[in-house]
Amino acid sequence: MSTVDTAETQRAAQPPAGGLMRRLNMGTGILAGIVFAFIGHWVATSMISANPDEAPSGVQVASQVHIITMAGWAIGFMAGLGAFAGPLRWVLGNDITHADEMFLAGKDQGVGRYFRFTTDHKVVGIQYLVLTMTMLGVGGTMAMLIRTNLITSNSGFLGPQTYNSLVGLHGLTMILATIIMVTGPFGNFIVPIMIGARDMAFPRLNALSLWLLVAMLPVLYSAAFMGGIPTGWTGYTPLADQGPGGVDAYLMAIILFAISTAVSGMNITTTVLSMRARGMTWNRIPIFVYGVVASVALAIPAFPMFMTAEVLLGVDRGLGGTFYVASGGGQPWLYQNLFWLMGHPEVYVIVLPAIAALMELTAVFARKPLFSFNAAVLSIAGIVGLSVMVWAHHMFTSGWATALNGSFMLTTELISIPTGGLFLVIVGTIWRGRIWTTLPMMSTYAMLWNFIIGGVTGIYLSDVPLDYALHGSMFVTAHFHYTLMGAGLTGAIGALAYWFPKMTGRMLDKTLGFVSFWLVQIGFNVTFLGMFMVGMEGQPRRVVHYDSVFATGNFISTMGAYVIGVGMLVLLYAVVSSWRQGELAPMNPWGAKTLEWTVPNPIPLENFPVMPVVTEDAYGYGKPVVAQPEPEPVPVGANVDSGTGLHGDAVGEEVTRSSSSSADRGTT
Amino acid sequence: MTTSGPPERTRLWSRRETREVFILWAVLTVLLVIFSMTVPDALMGVQASNTMTAVERTFTILSVAASPVAALVWAIALYSLVRWRRNGDWTPADEDGAPIRGNRGAVALWIGGSSALCLFILILGLAALQVASSPSENPRIAPAQARNPLVVDVTGEQWVWTFTYPQADVQTDQLYLPVNRAVVFKVTSDDVIHSFWVVQMGIKVDANPGETTTTQTYPNRIGVYDVRCAELCGLLHADMETTAHVVKQPQFTAWLKANQTRSK
Amino acid sequence: MRRVAGCIGTVLAGALVVFGAGWLLHQRPAPAQGAAVVVRGTVSTPQGNLPHVLVHLATYPDSMAGEHGADGGAEPDWVSYGPTTDLSVPAHSLVTVTIDQYDGGEEITNHYFARVHGTVGGTETVNGKTVTGVNPKAIGHTFTLHAAPTDQSPIFVSAPLPAVPDDAPLAPGSDYPKPNVVTFSFMTGSAGKYVWNCEFPCGDGYYAKFGGPMSTRGYMSGTLTVT
Repeated sequence: MSTVDTAETQRAAQPPAGGLMRRLNMGTGILAGIVFAFIGHWVATSMISANPDEAPSGVQVASQVHIITMAGWAIGFMAGLGAFAGPLRWVLGNDITHADEMFLAGKDQGVGRYFRFTTDHKVVGIQYLVLTMTMLGVGGTMAMLIRTNLITSNSGFLGPQTYNSLVGLHGLTMILATIIMVTGPFGNFIVPIMIGARDMAFPRLNALSLWLLVAMLPVLYSAAFMGGIPTGWTGYTPLADQGPGGVDAYLMAIILFAISTAVSGMNITTTVLSMRARGMTWNRIPIFVYGVVASVALAIPAFPMFMTAEVLLGVDRGLGGTFYVASGGGQPWLYQNLFWLMGHPEVYVIVLPAIAALMELTAVFARKPLFSFNAAVLSIAGIVGLSVMVWAHHMFTSGWATALNGSFMLTTELISIPTGGLFLVIVGTIWRGRIWTTLPMMSTYAMLWNFIIGGVTGIYLSDVPLDYALHGSMFVTAHFHYTLMGAGLTGAIGALAYWFPKMTGRMLDKTLGFVSFWLVQIGFNVTFLGMFMVGMEGQPRRVVHYDSVFATGNFISTMGAYVIGVGMLVLLYAVVSSWRQGELAPMNPWGAKTLEWTVPNPIPLENFPVMPVVTEDAYGYGKPVVAQPEPEPVPVGANVDSGTGLHGDAVGEEVTRSSSSSADRGTT
Repeated sequence: MTTSGPPERTRLWSRRETREVFILWAVLTVLLVIFSMTVPDALMGVQASNTMTAVERTFTILSVAASPVAALVWAIALYSLVRWRRNGDWTPADEDGAPIRGNRGAVALWIGGSSALCLFILILGLAALQVASSPSENPRIAPAQARNPLVVDVTGEQWVWTFTYPQADVQTDQLYLPVNRAVVFKVTSDDVIHSFWVVQMGIKVDANPGETTTTQTYPNRIGVYDVRCAELCGLLHADMETTAHVVKQPQFTAWLKANQTRSK
Repeated sequence: MRRVAGCIGTVLAGALVVFGAGWLLHQRPAPAQGAAVVVRGTVSTPQGNLPHVLVHLATYPDSMAGEHGADGGAEPDWVSYGPTTDLSVPAHSLVTVTIDQYDGGEEITNHYFARVHGTVGGTETVNGKTVTGVNPKAIGHTFTLHAAPTDQSPIFVSAPLPAVPDDAPLAPGSDYPKPNVVTFSFMTGSAGKYVWNCEFPCGDGYYAKFGGPMSTRGYMSGTLTVT
């Protein structure tokens, strides 16, 4: 009974202890990373100085050195961490033993397992959570500096160079953090338990995706010491062709991030497809799992586009290519197309799992079944399908293929229909529910307020003539903050509050949670309603100073931003203090019916001592006449392959039951 | 479904929550419509061209159309919270909510309603797009000279705008336009991407290196307006702005003449 | 009680982090201007008697003579303005700028900036000769001053600085050839903050020659504060 699939399990006996693999951790990773970075730097500089005639400009030389050095760091860090131990030993014909697998899963290790290449999905989930919170903290600090600079029309607090770099780094940090903020912590920690699996399908790839992000952070923030990222997070060319060394850090960071996302996306998708518990048919899968799968599956086609865009940018900058240089036959619109082919699916990568988490917990706190499960799934699927066909609505004013503007307006506005479906499911679930106003449920309410505003303003921007007036203004900034922060981050905070008892074994401080909620939500609305105001008045985005007619709205925004900052710090304190010494959580504090609440705190290494069997969906609230007791996990043979949910001998029976239950669902 | 329709509706209407939510929805809708009719126009300010008039009108129409939808979601959520909120924490002994797993009528109504709204805004947008791409063809504003547009070549470079009047051989750093004459801007860039934005005229198009993009409008109000760059273009992006002067035709002719001689 | 203290502590710590980051990143006050800006008496103009401000700048083909120190700072090869790029002049005054142009050059991208704009009389003097523009094929740099986007008095001044021929001999006792001396005047309005930069693409090695020194503060761009 291994945590991984049988293909990876080595049966040959091996010496139990020892091996270099067991001594590796984050410290050796950093050490090896630095060594490899120096080697890379030395190779790059000596290689280039050997052929001074072949390097036509100083910019290209600098770019080559930056890219090779950063690649050296990333490879060294991953190697030093032990990320390649498995494949390396396989190549050497000395495969990983069961004892090694247990070691890699962090068995009987203390806090140290959080600083190793640990494969247990729960460890990875916690690592993701801490990483996300760190990135949000860094990005938030930058937001405070940006807003401080904009407190008056010409404050002179930050110079234009610093300001432009901060805007780029803030955007990039926040986008990367919000992409991973739900599917990372909760997709890794909760989803496998929710579907009744003992771990992810590919535990080592799971750890790889996390540690690639850790390797990415120093690369990303090294930009600050190399002239910054003065291009905004979009990194539009040819401004990026012109930019300083920070742009090399930007493109390397994106390449690492894209690999991580692809690995993680394949892993989560495979897990959900093949590792569900017995009886977990498609219409019994909790809606949160649908949201997570939609998100990561959408990321699989999206992020390679981004990576391609950045590889081409690297060729331009480092090797003198002209992919994006018009005077060399290149085309800046190519970058924009590749970027937004990633960029629009990406906003749904962020928002879908957050809203799915809110749907999941709304059913719990309204004590009602999810209203129209089918509508929820179809809405998510509809959004996924449409989201890959709308990218050029970011380019209405670019001049590229203006004849297509009407078509992209059509696809964009069609998204409002499945998005409306999500609202229907949530308000339908709330309707006549017995609403328990916990922090997670309050997050649902905040999302209903914020996402309506974000969605409606999105319709304005999808209207081409209106976009001609509003594009590139603060209106757009306010709009996407309403969706990504107002819906996405709010949903993630709700999810954190909801699953905190399961992930940490302790209850999140209720009072502090409420205080933080109100501070953040009030501050958020003040900030971004002020930003809508200045955007409609005509303030462009990303400006270090502005016309004094915008002074009132900007002052309001800055004050609101400070309130958000205080609220977020209160939340941070609540999380840290509750994690350390909060009230111990019972196994199922919310009375929820999904599988993760059936495992004890702390969760044992392979989650389920006996594999669960699922006989109905997780929304059986308020059974009218004969209240069925929640089915106990039925013991089954310990050697049963965890993937039998689809192929087990009981399939025929399951199908009958599920079809009858879906028939019930349609009426009432 | 059809036979049981009328009694079902009566029963629905006789329920207390239906009536109360309807009232709440109506009140919220009215408030939002009032907001939509007043605030956007006030914020978006003067309309220096027929394009901007159309933009502000579209903004208002979309806001009004969105009002009942937003009001419905908020009304149901707010009402449920006030009416059915649980006092104190949940305990396992508590009764759950009604086991409503869906309602085909509600789903159909919702999808049908949102599809109809979507179709409406789409038709509205396509019609407005048609006018925006050729304002001189708009029957409402087509005086004779609108068919003979003024051409202005706009060049963005880091971090200034320059304007060339090819019909008059004049180059300048501030935009001068005659009132009530269609104008076509041919926009390009010497270096990175900029975005040419005449704020009060509601037009914007990117200035791309190696490409010429076009935008047009019909200025119909005399005044001084703002030209800004709407695409981050490097160090002094925030300072890349100038003014647009819309003047009477004789003044414009005089201005052209004065600048022609000076440039020679 | 403990929770309240913890929260306040966290908020204070967070504020401290933001404050520290802001302290590290905030725009340093302009370095001492030395002899760059001198106020000398008043001058009679159609607008009445105004204070007369003399600004003396220079453009160099490298960074050895500007505000980056004799070793040229981080990028000694970048072209630069000197001795400073942050200028401060009084409001409602006549500003006469003299620029010693030591650098070579070639054709300017936008010929508009080969002409003089916004100066008193629409002219500048080049080595004593009054002109309204210079040959667009041989521009070294420009001094182009424009308004920051606020409601302050608009100023737009652009003066081309002709190139020194590439084969010009070094002046005796100097690292540079004999400069082209360009002089022009403009008037300031009420207090405000302005920026100026070079409109001749002189950031060699970068896309459109507008990166590097053109896009970094302290080289080919600066501020003008009217107080």
